[in-house]
Formats: sequence, structure tokens, C-alpha cells
Amino acid sequence: MISFSVASSSRFGPRTGNLTLRRPGTSVSINTPGLMVATSRGVVSHLGRDQYERTPALRVVQVPFESFLENSPPTPTLQPGPNPLHTFLGFNPNQHLLSLTLRDPADRRETPANGHDYISVSTGRGMKKITPDQWRAHVHACAPDLVVALPDIPWTLPPFSQKRTTKSIERTAAWLAHMLAPAPQPLNILVHMAGGIAEPARRAFTDSLTETLHGKEAESVRPHKCLDDGVSGYVFDLVPLRRALDASPDASRNDQQETVALLKASLTSAPSTKLRVANSAGSPHEILRLVRDVGVDIFDSKWAQDAAHLGVALDFTFPVSSVTGNQRDLGHNLFRTQYAHDFSLFADSAPACPCGACAPVASPTVIAHSAHDVHTPIAPTPYTRAYVHHLLHTHEMSAHALLVMHNLEVLDAFFAGVRGVIDGGSSFGDEVDRFVAQYSEAQAAIDEARTMWDVVNVARGKGRMARERADAVADD
Amino acid sequence: MAHFELLARCPTTRARVTRITLAHGATMLPTFMPVATQAAIKGLTPQQVESLGVTLILNNTYHLNLRPGIKVLSEAGGAHKFQGWNRNLLTDSGGFQLVSLSKFTTITEEGALFESPFTGEPTMLTPEESISIQHAIGADIIMQLDDVVPSLTQDRARVEEAMERSVRWLDRCITHHNLSGKRATQNLFAIVQGGLDLELRDRCVTHMIQRKNDVAGFAIGGLSGGEEKDVFWRVVKQCTDKLPEDRPRYCMGIGFAEDLLVCVALGVDMADCVFPTRTARFGVALTHNGPLNLRLAKYASDFEAIDSSCPCPTCVKGTSRAMLHHIIGRETAAAQGRSLLASVTIHNIVFQARIMGDARDAIMDGTFPDYLRTFFSNYFGDVGYPEWCVNALRSVNVDLLEGSDIKVVSGKGAKWEYSSTVT
Repeated sequence: MISFSVASSSRFGPRTGNLTLRRPGTSVSINTPGLMVATSRGVVSHLGRDQYERTPALRVVQVPFESFLENSPPTPTLQPGPNPLHTFLGFNPNQHLLSLTLRDPADRRETPANGHDYISVSTGRGMKKITPDQWRAHVHACAPDLVVALPDIPWTLPPFSQKRTTKSIERTAAWLAHMLAPAPQPLNILVHMAGGIAEPARRAFTDSLTETLHGKEAESVRPHKCLDDGVSGYVFDLVPLRRALDASPDASRNDQQETVALLKASLTSAPSTKLRVANSAGSPHEILRLVRDVGVDIFDSKWAQDAAHLGVALDFTFPVSSVTGNQRDLGHNLFRTQYAHDFSLFADSAPACPCGACAPVASPTVIAHSAHDVHTPIAPTPYTRAYVHHLLHTHEMSAHALLVMHNLEVLDAFFAGVRGVIDGGSSFGDEVDRFVAQYSEAQAAIDEARTMWDVVNVARGKGRMARERADAVADD
Repeated sequence: MAHFELLARCPTTRARVTRITLAHGATMLPTFMPVATQAAIKGLTPQQVESLGVTLILNNTYHLNLRPGIKVLSEAGGAHKFQGWNRNLLTDSGGFQLVSLSKFTTITEEGALFESPFTGEPTMLTPEESISIQHAIGADIIMQLDDVVPSLTQDRARVEEAMERSVRWLDRCITHHNLSGKRATQNLFAIVQGGLDLELRDRCVTHMIQRKNDVAGFAIGGLSGGEEKDVFWRVVKQCTDKLPEDRPRYCMGIGFAEDLLVCVALGVDMADCVFPTRTARFGVALTHNGPLNLRLAKYASDFEAIDSSCPCPTCVKGTSRAMLHHIIGRETAAAQGRSLLASVTIHNIVFQARIMGDARDAIMDGTFPDYLRTFFSNYFGDVGYPEWCVNALRSVNVDLLEGSDIKVVSGKGAKWEYSSTVT
């Protein structure tokens, strides 16, 4: 079972903690604040399975299930043997803690309305309706380490009426109760904090979790006295909040402060010692604010993985050793021509980055294909910006594998720094201010890389240089 | 120059086990060389490739000359350092891609005249220039610039001209290479041309082996261009029969399992092809029982590994056909798909290395004919032996049909799992 402990007794504010999962014969332990790696279609995008174990930042992994609903029954539910989800997806039960969600929390696309007893999911082969019964059955068949109970998050076009928000609260609570009903295997259940962008609704949802149940309702979730008793932690999906805030007519609203206020509204009357997870934080700045003002424990690393997908090598540290010169970008857009001749490591600020790109290690085992094969190990050399620049411009996929390994380590080191500052007793708020002063939150490198990624994607192929020449002539 | 040792010879066929020691270590032959066109095997890092037991890969000169360009490679200290590959490397001359990828290429005695992809200006790739570019790249084995004509060219005069010109260009490559001071670390290979004409091939080999002291090995070029397989193997045999024992023999552009093993039996030591890595990206995994098309619906709930006896990381970790099918089935899932397609690429590279490594062991043990019979029976037992394989192996005293009731099929006979066989 999962256990979580926090060092701080205050309800809000920076806190360190430890999440430990015990399984027969082993335990997996993660210090918080820490990261959770995002997957898509069951894989960490761009990484091969043999690279999973060479990526130490890969400990907690979030697995959206919806792509598997293409097949009925979903393939992972048929996987034989122990730890079926780990086995099917190639994760190591001794190293990796898997958290299962039905939907991809980063997917902001509009989706058909949910119903009274189903939600609409996107499978990659069209939409499907999934009921709480089906979700519960799939979860038990997959045996994840953590699971998010089915939330009713509206994915139609915002804004949402008070009536819709009320329904969302009621359904999310009812579907959590359904998940909590006695089962042969115990589950570690997280609940998505419902209520949208209405603070009273969010408080009401938490009240529905903590109120003592009676009669039939109590019977159905025995031995728990209230829904919250059966919950290991709270999940905050930031994408639906942003979506709703964007649709709000109040132009003077400060989205950062608003997000903090919404999360706090959910937590005001909830037990303060439970795990708090935020999905889709968009920058280290946002992560720092949610650590400082709320006390969130786990963040997904989708943002850093997306940067790798676009060709950006992250380069930042926390705490900042000394604030110098102009504000810096959070990373390097390696598409840029300036990197063609740059044979340095990916990061300036983290010269000792231990990732598989900056500090590659020779494989401990090399396959021998005949009795006379002899292997003499040679220490590998670190990869350079120039090489990745070349790989990006030739659309070679290994560029992104190297960048994913690197960016996850940068973010992991960032979280180690966060924990160090919190435990060290110096002012966390001061360090956040220094970080904000040193690094631009505007993410110019990432925006620029997105454009250049598109350009290479369109341009690549036979005759590319001739077309680029023609474009250059046309531009003159 | 390379150190080349003969370790064992098959008493029945022309197959042999040799070891070539180059500036970046030893490579056991016969071997298959995966192709890293743009200084990367698609989807894999050099560490991954090295862990698969691969010690010799190929880079394409034409592509590296365009990107990153010679200036960057020189600054990096050569292609090995640029891509972080510490084992042996071979580059082609750049001539083949010039003909296949460039518009308006004209071959003159001076060199290949083409439209520069950089400037659009007419540009000449001479034998000397090709060697200079390959010197900057710094591969352990470099190839002469040759005059390549498509193997199906009907014009014998053109084929003859190309063959004779390739010999003259070899001389220019040798002169340029010997003057460069790179002979200690880089090894020049000659390329035998002559199309499908055995007489022209014979003349070419005769001319080229007169230059033996200036070349480290011989390649057989101008094949794999859609010619009849029964003609293909005869050309290979014509060449290998006459090429000297004390130089490696490299058959360019072959990669199907049956092609590799037939060529090894005919005395070939090295081969390269994009096929195993390219086919992986289309979801096809190679096995001893033939290719598996993982896109087929029948693999959707198949929890077996591609091949449970395979030592590659994909199979050792038990990656199921069902998971591979889940990822590969979706065109839209590009980024995710690529990471698992790399799993199939890993498997296919190991498959190629395995069949060559097993061939080495069998030759060393004196059991190579048995190995051939077992391999072909497993691979083609259900569909029948390609007739050309039967003919080719008979020419080196191995009869696949001896004591076998497996039928023989004419034509190419390449085995494939087509989507029409969806079950």
C-alpha cells in the first residue's frame, strides 16, 4: 500500500514529504516535491524501454488509459501474470510507480458532453463512453499503484453554468463512492478536486468528501466513515481550470492568483497530510508558486517533455547561485543556427548533468553474436549541442530521446533543489523571487522551437535544399 | 592499413570467418552493417547501437556533406566524435546518392557533374574530391568513387564504359589517398562494376586486383537494382571466386536474410542495407520464421515477445507483440510510435547480427552447411525455397533439397507477411 508523510504541519506553504509504495519484497520511494513522468499511448514519448532504466528521474509515471479503449476488452486488461500494467508497458515494479488516469490530463480538446453515468473519452479511433462500472473493472484488471477515480470534468465549451458545476461535483463524488465499494484488491485512490473555477463549489465538493455518511451510503463504502477516508490524495488538473478562466469575461483577473485561490478553496477543509498532485503546470515558475502558496507535492513533467519534443534543451537550476545580468531563457532552442558549431554540453548552469546525453555510460552488457566476438569497453563521450542541432535539422528521432533524458534530469534536479531549500530553512519565498528574477517565464526558446520544428517538418525530404534556396531567393 | 586475418574456412562452401582490425577496434566477419545515413541509426543513440554488439556501421557521404557539412565535421574532429560512435565506421563515395537523389547528374571523365544542392550551380564531384570529403569525415573504411549505372541498363557499351571508368577513377582515388597521409587510419576499398555481364565483371576484377597493394578490400557494386536474383548470385559468385583471399569482400546494398546467407556461402564478408531498419519503421519485425507485420490485427492481443529466444533488449524485456501493435497501429501517434518503432529497429539490427554471428560460429565449427539447411527450412519451410537460393547454394555444394520435402518456388521468393493475410 501507499503511505505518504509530510514534514510540515501547516495547511498551506512549501513542504517536503515522502511517498512510499510497499509491495511484496520491495518498496518504491519518492521524495516530494517531485515529478511524475507523463506518458502517451502507454509510452514515455521518444524513449525506448532500454532507456527507461537509464533515466533515474523516471520513478512515478502517469498512464492515461483512454488510448487502450480502441480495443474491447482493452489489451492491458488481458495481460497475464502479476503487475499486469507494469508488464504490458515495460515498467519495472521495483523502480516505477504507475498512476492510472482514464483521460490524458494535458488534452484540452473539446469533447462531447458527459452523461449521468458515463464520461466521453477520446481513443484515437473516435470517441467512446465509459461508465464507472467499466472503469472500475479495467482498473482492477490492470492493478496500477495509484488510480484517479473517474471525475466528471466538462470538456464542452466553457463557460459552465452553476447547474453544470453542481452536477460535476455530485457525479465526481458518486463515482468516487463507486470506486470505494469493497473489492478483493485494495486500491490507492486519488480524487480529482471538482468544482471548476467557482470557489464555493470547490469547497462544497470537499465537504461532500469529508462529511460522515449514514445508512445505505455508509454501507456502500464500508469500512470508511466518509469518502475522504478512502482517498490517498488529491489531484488538480490545471488544463480545465485554465480553459474555464480563459473563457471568463473578467479581464482584470490574475490567473496565477486565481489558480492558487481555487486550489486552496479545495484544501481548506481537507486533511492537510494527504498527497497533492497537480497536472500540466506550464513552467518551473508555476511549479514554484504552487509549492510556495499551496504546498503541492507532485507535478507532472509534461512541460519539460514537450520542450524536448520541440528541440529545446532545458538549462536552469534552483536555487539560483547568483542572479546575473539579463533574464535568461529556461533552455536552448537547439534548432538555432548558432548551435551548429557549438560542441558544448546541453546545459551551462548544470555542468554535471547526470543524464544519458550529458553523461552517457557504456552499456554494462554488450550482446556477443559469436563465440569469438570480443568486446573492449570504450568510455562514451557526451553528446553536444551541435550533434542534436544536426539531428533536429535532419529530423532524426534520437534528438528527442537525448533531450527527453536531459530535460527530465534537469527538472528532477530542480525538485531536489526545491526540497533542499525547504528543508534548509532559508526563505523559500526569497529563492523563488531570485529564480523569477533570473529566468524568464515567457519561454521564448520554446515558442521559437515550435515554429522551427514545424518548418523542418514541412521542409524535410528530397529536394529540401532546393526548396529552401527558392524560399531564400523569394525572401530577398 | 587494416589488419586482416583469416580465422576459418568452410570446407564445403566458399564461406570464411575473418577479423578486420581498424583504427576503432576489431570487427568479426562476415558481418552486416546497419546504415546510419545522417550520422544516426534512426531512433537509436550510439550507446544503444553499441550495446547490441554492432562494431561497424555505415554513414552516407552525400548526406553528411550536405548536413552537417565538412566544416562542422572537421571542427568536431571527424564523424566518429561528432556522433559519439567509438567503433568502426564506413562511408560510401557519395556517388550513388548523387545519381539517385540529384537532378541533372552527368558523368564525365573528370567526375560527376551535378546541380549543387547548396547553390544550384553546376558542381563536379571528382574521385579526388570524394576521397577528400571522406578524409574529413574520417571513416575507417572509405570507398572509391565509381561510375554506377542501374543494374538493369540494357546498353552494354555504357556498362562497359562505366566499368572501365571505375577502374580509372580507382587509380585517381588511390593516388589521392596515398598522398594524403591518411593510409594509416583510413582504408580504401575498390568497387567492382560491370553490370550483370559476367565478362565485364571478370575484366573489372582482373584490373582491380592488379591494384591490390593499394586497396584494403574489394566491394561488389552495381547490384540490388531490381535484377533477377538468379542473375544476381551468379555475378556475386563470379566476383568472389576471383577476388583475393587476403582482402575482405563487401557486397553492397543487400540485407534480406536469404541474400546475406547465400552471399556468405559464396564468400562475401560484409554487407549493408537500409532494409532491416527501414522495415522496422513500418512495423515489420524479422524472425527466424520470417517477418512479422506487427500492424496486423492478429497481433492485437498476442502477449508473446517478437522472438522469446532473441537476446535484444526489446525481446529480453518481454515487450509484447500486442503492445507493439498498439503503438504502431496509429499514424497519428507519431512521437509515441517512434519510441516503440525504435524497439523494433533494435530487434531487427540484432536479428541481422545474430544470423551473421551464428554463421561465424557454424563456419568455425565446420557445420555451416547444416546451419544453412536449418535456417532455410525454418525461414521458408511453410512457403517453399526460392529457386535462386537452391541454385546458388548448389553452386557451393550445399543442396537445400537433400532429404527435404519443401517445395521450390520461382521468382524472387522474398518472404513477406502481407496485410491480405489478416486473420
